[in-house]
Amino acid sequence: MANISGNAYALTVLSPIKNGCIGDSSYQISYADEVQSRLHGLGVCEDSPLAKVPQTYLARFFILDDVFLESTPGCDSFCNLWDILSIFKERFRLLALPREDHLKSRYLVFSSNFHGDLESYLRGMWSAVSADIKHIWEHCVAFDRVQDVEGFIAYIKRCQLTANLFFNGSTDDPLEEQLKALYLKQQFVKFAVSHQGLGAAELQDAFRAFIGRVQPNQLATPTWRPGQSIP
Amino acid sequence: MTQQLDLPDIQGNIIRAYGRFGFPKARFFFLKINDGDSGRDFVGTITKRVTTSVSWGPPPKGVIPKPKAPINIAFTYNGLKALGLPRASLAGFPEEFAMGMKARKEILGDDGPSAPERWDKVWQKHEDVHVALAINGQTPEEKEQPPLKYVEEAYQWVMSQIDASGGGVVLLTGHRGDEGQDDLPFQDASLLYDKSGNIMAKEHFGYTDGIGDPVFEGQITEEYRVVGRGKLTREGGWARLETGEFLLGHPDEAHEYPPAPPPTLLSRNGTFMVYRKLHQNVASFERLLDAHAESFSGDRELLAAKLSGRWRDNGAPIAHTPDAASKAEWDKLFYAAIAAKDERTVDKMLADFRFDLMGYKCPIGAHIRRINPRGSLEFGQDGAYNTPGALDDRRRILRRGLPYGVVRDPVSDDGNHGVIFMALNTSIERQFEFVQQQWINYANDSKEGSDKDVLLGNHSDPNGACPSKMVTHADPKSGRPPYFVNKIPRLVETRGGDYFFIPSMTALRMIAGGKVDPT
Repeated sequence: MANISGNAYALTVLSPIKNGCIGDSSYQISYADEVQSRLHGLGVCEDSPLAKVPQTYLARFFILDDVFLESTPGCDSFCNLWDILSIFKERFRLLALPREDHLKSRYLVFSSNFHGDLESYLRGMWSAVSADIKHIWEHCVAFDRVQDVEGFIAYIKRCQLTANLFFNGSTDDPLEEQLKALYLKQQFVKFAVSHQGLGAAELQDAFRAFIGRVQPNQLATPTWRPGQSIP
Repeated sequence: MTQQLDLPDIQGNIIRAYGRFGFPKARFFFLKINDGDSGRDFVGTITKRVTTSVSWGPPPKGVIPKPKAPINIAFTYNGLKALGLPRASLAGFPEEFAMGMKARKEILGDDGPSAPERWDKVWQKHEDVHVALAINGQTPEEKEQPPLKYVEEAYQWVMSQIDASGGGVVLLTGHRGDEGQDDLPFQDASLLYDKSGNIMAKEHFGYTDGIGDPVFEGQITEEYRVVGRGKLTREGGWARLETGEFLLGHPDEAHEYPPAPPPTLLSRNGTFMVYRKLHQNVASFERLLDAHAESFSGDRELLAAKLSGRWRDNGAPIAHTPDAASKAEWDKLFYAAIAAKDERTVDKMLADFRFDLMGYKCPIGAHIRRINPRGSLEFGQDGAYNTPGALDDRRRILRRGLPYGVVRDPVSDDGNHGVIFMALNTSIERQFEFVQQQWINYANDSKEGSDKDVLLGNHSDPNGACPSKMVTHADPKSGRPPYFVNKIPRLVETRGGDYFFIPSMTALRMIAGGKVDPT
């Protein structure tokens, strides 16, 4: 299945946003613009709600306003045929033009690459940031029926699209292991730079102290925090 | 058929570097145009004295006598505007050129001691800098004559033209000088001299400079100079780079014309110049070598060579001379070739090399490997690109700079000494700025994390939270560990500069005549 690459999962969700506006006679804003504004209000890096969602490698929200116009198509055999026929009738020239499609509503797009299976991920997401979820999805069609984690899982699965081309930008290890690995790598570089040239015994002592400090087997701490941007 | 360039249409110092042909002196100065009409008249007068790329020397090779002091001219975006270029032509210039160098400081890493507010005064009102004039000069053969005689004569001639403009064109002051001045009307530059007064092709850190300039289609140069200076072919040979990487109006490495403003006549045979005054912290550099020489291996010069990729004394590429023994062997052959006046061999020894994949000989972070990776970015994945150097070929720049000042106090960074760095390319953004941002101040492409070029990088406080480091790799078979050069201070600081357009002679005449018509 294209959503899965090893232990990594690519989730793509398109949730239709209600058409129409909220507000009173003095101030009107469309539901989609309100969702957009809420997305802009989210924190970034460590302060992003996504940093609190367990096992998230990379995730993003955006609003899909409409499909993009594909402009004039390249010529194929039919186009050439229409070109020739258009000499006789204007109608044929118009037939060769692409049909212009539009979406019936605007969509909230949520895409996430994470470790593990979909249900566990969504459970973790709900238990970590359910208030944010309700805030972000509030104006999506039928989200008012979501009352609990089971409802959220069902809702997301209904809105899910299959990923066709999944490129996972990291390994497929659990997030804690990746963050610990990143932390260890940085700490080890610092150690190597600051301890070069020591004698074997001295170096070994220093290395033991280093291992005691960075605790490679302890995933929880010390480590690189999810979303952390500065050492 | 090989490219035949219209040499009388191309300004001098583009096709070949004056520095290599007996012009050890230079003076740069900058003008403001207060009035379009007198500005255009001034340009017209100067144009008649501008030195082109026509070959000089005795016939049949030379067409004109070798000039004593070639004059060249270039313009900022604001300068072209002041000269009355039509809006449609101005709008066709690339964005980075229109913005100017100061506004590109985040991309260039001009922060801290390199920040624009610390630049020479002349750059503080950069919107006033309209015209760059460069006078390069021979030195008189008679020893009793002042070395700057020819430069001074040409300079005085230009000054008289400025005077004649009646205030329409003014000279801008504000260059720092040797005696602590901050308001000099010009920036002098000069090749350095050794203790016996002989010219050396060196910069203030002691490295031999200007060996690896690109060679491109249409350049008149010995064919053997293509080796190590052109582009790598899949077969392992070298070919000339496309003209359009360095001259507008000619096809480039992507087989298209580089973006240029209309009309074609305005841009064709012109190019863009990056002018940067770079102060060198020579004392800090020597202290860095001192701090590491002992723990590195005891060989201070080998360490200096690892940082740059070439040995300081004669430019020997460390890719061929990774230790003292191989260097001694190389030196023997090199000096024999010099004694025999065998220029071809001398050139081959300096230029014909590639980098070892793992950096055991030439570190991956060495200066010359960063700025021109010579195909090493393919990183052992043969056939990843069309040619091994496909990524490098679009990032090459012609360097036309000269050192300035002298180091008076070797234990202090202060003073007035460095390099007037001048780079020529058809896309400042794609070529110079990319190299500066990605290859000098960052190392993702070479898989060296966020390490910076030791010599040119905008290093942060060496005692701060994230001091710079560089890895000198060691072959695991040798049993030695790699060596980390850490706590690297900032060795080069920007003192000013801007982006200029060097028009062709045709374009100069059009600008002077107010005849630029983009329609």
